[in-house]
Amino acid sequence: MQSAFLKATVFTVGLCAIYIYIGEVITEISGGAKTAATAAGVSPEAGEAIFWGKGKCHTCHSLGSRGSAIRGPNLGVDGARFPLPIGLRAEERAKEMSQKSGKPITAADYLVQTHHDPGAYVVEGYKNEMPAAWKAPIKLKPEEVLAVDLYLQSQGGEPKVEALASSQYYIQMKKAAESQKGAPAETFRPYLKGDPEKGKALFFDPESKAPCAKCHMVGDQGGKVGPELTNVSGTRDLPYVIESILEPSAQIASGFEPFLIVTKDGEFVNGVKKAEDDQSVTLADNEGQQRKVPKAKIEKMVQQKKSIMPDNFRELLTMEEFHDLLAYLETLK
Amino acid sequence: MKKRMIRVLLVALVVVLAAPLLVAAAAPTVGETYRTFLGFDSRISIWLIAEIHLMFGAFVLGVPIFAVTIEIIGWKTKDPRYDRLAYEFTQLLGGAFSFTALLGGLLTFALFGLFPKFMEFLSGIFHDVMYLYAGLFFLESTTFYIYYYFWDSMANRKGLHIVLGILLNVWGTVIMMVANSWAAYMMSPVGLDKETGQFVGTVWQAVNNPLWTPLNIHRFLGNVAFGGLICGGYAAIRYLGAKTQEERAHYDWMGYVGNFSAMCGLIPLPFAGYYLGREVYSASAVMGNNMMGGAFSWTFIIQAILIGGLFIGSNYYLWIGMHRIPGAERYTRYIKFIEVVLLLCFAIWLTPHNLPLSAEEQIAVGGQYHPTLKYLGLMSGKNAVVNLIILLTFASFLLYRRANLGDGVAFSQQPAKSRVVLFGVAGLVILIMAWYAKSLLSLDPASLDLSGETAKYFVLPAALLIIQIAAVLVTAILTLWNRGKLAQLVYVGVTAVDATFILGVYGYVIMAVANPFLRNVAVTQWLILMSAIIWVTTIDVFLFKGAPQLGEMSWGKMPVRSQYTLIAVCVFIVMLIGLMGFIRSGLREDWHIYAILQDSSEGSWTPDNALMAKVVSACVLIFLGAISFLFWLTGAGGKKTETAAPSSPEFSVTPK
Repeated sequence: MQSAFLKATVFTVGLCAIYIYIGEVITEISGGAKTAATAAGVSPEAGEAIFWGKGKCHTCHSLGSRGSAIRGPNLGVDGARFPLPIGLRAEERAKEMSQKSGKPITAADYLVQTHHDPGAYVVEGYKNEMPAAWKAPIKLKPEEVLAVDLYLQSQGGEPKVEALASSQYYIQMKKAAESQKGAPAETFRPYLKGDPEKGKALFFDPESKAPCAKCHMVGDQGGKVGPELTNVSGTRDLPYVIESILEPSAQIASGFEPFLIVTKDGEFVNGVKKAEDDQSVTLADNEGQQRKVPKAKIEKMVQQKKSIMPDNFRELLTMEEFHDLLAYLETLK
Repeated sequence: MKKRMIRVLLVALVVVLAAPLLVAAAAPTVGETYRTFLGFDSRISIWLIAEIHLMFGAFVLGVPIFAVTIEIIGWKTKDPRYDRLAYEFTQLLGGAFSFTALLGGLLTFALFGLFPKFMEFLSGIFHDVMYLYAGLFFLESTTFYIYYYFWDSMANRKGLHIVLGILLNVWGTVIMMVANSWAAYMMSPVGLDKETGQFVGTVWQAVNNPLWTPLNIHRFLGNVAFGGLICGGYAAIRYLGAKTQEERAHYDWMGYVGNFSAMCGLIPLPFAGYYLGREVYSASAVMGNNMMGGAFSWTFIIQAILIGGLFIGSNYYLWIGMHRIPGAERYTRYIKFIEVVLLLCFAIWLTPHNLPLSAEEQIAVGGQYHPTLKYLGLMSGKNAVVNLIILLTFASFLLYRRANLGDGVAFSQQPAKSRVVLFGVAGLVILIMAWYAKSLLSLDPASLDLSGETAKYFVLPAALLIIQIAAVLVTAILTLWNRGKLAQLVYVGVTAVDATFILGVYGYVIMAVANPFLRNVAVTQWLILMSAIIWVTTIDVFLFKGAPQLGEMSWGKMPVRSQYTLIAVCVFIVMLIGLMGFIRSGLREDWHIYAILQDSSEGSWTPDNALMAKVVSACVLIFLGAISFLFWLTGAGGKKTETAAPSSPEFSVTPK
């Protein structure tokens, strides 16, 4: 009997191991653990991240051939039913609504209104069931809704944040969201409590997924390609630090602007300018390697808008690793 | 043993009864919203405690349902083995009640300690119900004492004893329903002032919230299957460790009974799941979409794997079991076809809705989604194959049932009351389908936010229901003409074509042009399938009435792999309970009370499937370990409960 019980126990543990393996595989292929955060700010890119992420828009809407949801109208081009993408469709709808109501309604108004009061215009053949994304349970901030609208506007149209932000519906939404809060906005806090020791290990280990010390100095350790981070959390707030990790090109620290040098030999050299004299320019790349280029060989030198810092930490780091790193940076005051 | 059990139960009762008082004393400190569990992560701690408590809850509900059902069968068939089996499992309940209550007490304290603000809110609405809950536990325990300790002395008053068993189940079910009301309320709160968040409704409104009834049905059926499969798992281990042929025969029979009982719960379970899912969607479209098309769509793939394992495992066990049945060789050649179709169905069910592809993969496939396979990930395809899986499992069971039987008495020679029953059931089935067909034809498209012209799409499902009605009439006539087997074949065939193929494909049309009507299509499929199960079973009963057995059952001659199959399906259902608990709770995302009370703790993010699988596996191992301990503690299957050799010639594989 004992032998049978032991065999059954081993069998059960084996089944659990397979179950855990399936969980790991499915997480891996669905990218479950690699969604450290969404893009910050009001931009079509941030709107895209929200549309396909925390805003849950993609659970009802597809965008052309992207996505497979059909509960809500496709917001891209989709056969004869939706021949125009939503950026252009919004203009048609605005005209239609203006004619009906006798009041001037712009495409920006229409887009914002779809989130402020989704029942105001229900597309034929669809149920009036879209939730207002700025209300619970989705509860996007008005700025996040604005980013989504900007993203939608960019689908065939020209994204104009001023037009959206000055829409009466956006102003109403913002006012209502503020009054719902009843208190000043909560202080930003990370999703997880990270382990600063693990974060420190990530930071300094040159073989880790985020070997920040290759370029950034803390105390007397690390490279000098990027800004020194010894007191970064004492001088910068957390959202700024997060943005700097996930969107390094959003704001490039002064003095660390990247340059591209095209030599007369047709070679491209990219990096942060570390030194310059009459004879040469020295650039440092994101591996911490410095390259001195004689001025006589330079065909063209252009300042870049894109930071040399890798911008794929969102994909590289798991949620836990990202928060470990953040926890370490928070100790640098 | 009995005194020790009483002591443990009394301690458990004190814990449960004292919980509300202790809860009141544990009022949250002002400004302190969250704490940690002895320094451990509060979310993982509460997850483990709650899930293991729920598993025990399912056990103490599932086992009495199983035990009393088996006792009734034993009473009716006068077969003492059923009575012994029911007793063996009832023995487990004392310890299981204690574990459940102790875990419940721990859960209560942990909830009030770790999430005081949330519990202040919940107890503010449900505190009266919480006292009722404790009182019901008292009633259940008392009923259990009488039911268990008077088992032998009430042997001559079996009817009364069974009434006690049923009463035990009534209390257990009501306890489950009360606890469900809290869990359901967290997902679909009602009676609240939307501006202030204050509760302004009645307690009954809160209890009878939109997800309460579907959750009750889903959990009840799940517990029926759970009880049976735990029995099967236990029997399998005993079978593997059996020293004598007599023991092997007994535990083989026990495994069969457990699996059969589980299948009774498993067959309607997907419908209950669909009903619950539909109501989740109705309660909140955001939550519903997140469930099937958002963050949890991949978790449902794991769910499909587990349910696939359950159905294929149970069918596989039945098929192996046919080798011990003289006469089964007539049907075994059909099994491989059923197996192939079942596997195809599961492949379709497993097709994910969202498939992240790299740029290279997209180019290779020709877009983000495969041009053909993408349709299989949609609800309509999944509904179709789930219906076919259930129909095939039902067919598989029919083959098993008739395996040992020769031809019964011709229907024309059966007494007149057989015709009355046949036409009574036919009438009932026809009436229900006719009622739904009429309601489809008179359905106002505006009630689904659809335009008037979409009404034409309601006609086909109604027409298929009418075809089914015609099929009932035709097959009734065939049965009267002693062509029952042909009648069964015709009705199962028509059902497969209507519910699976026609409505399966039609579902895609509806999704494109009148999506809100899809749920009505699903209900039509469900009705057609249920009509098949009820109607074909009725014909089967008359078809094999008085049928002779073709030989003696060879109990105790099952291969080892069959027993590991039973253990596997037992583990699968415990995993499934853990997984569904994760989904139900996770669907609230960062809300304690959905869209009302936000979770601002560090653990407010949604765990990924990797973490889910680890925590659920831990729950499974702890729970099954504890259950094994209970089996050992109570000495179930020991000397006292040994029974006579079960291979009595009068025993039929057909539940009498």
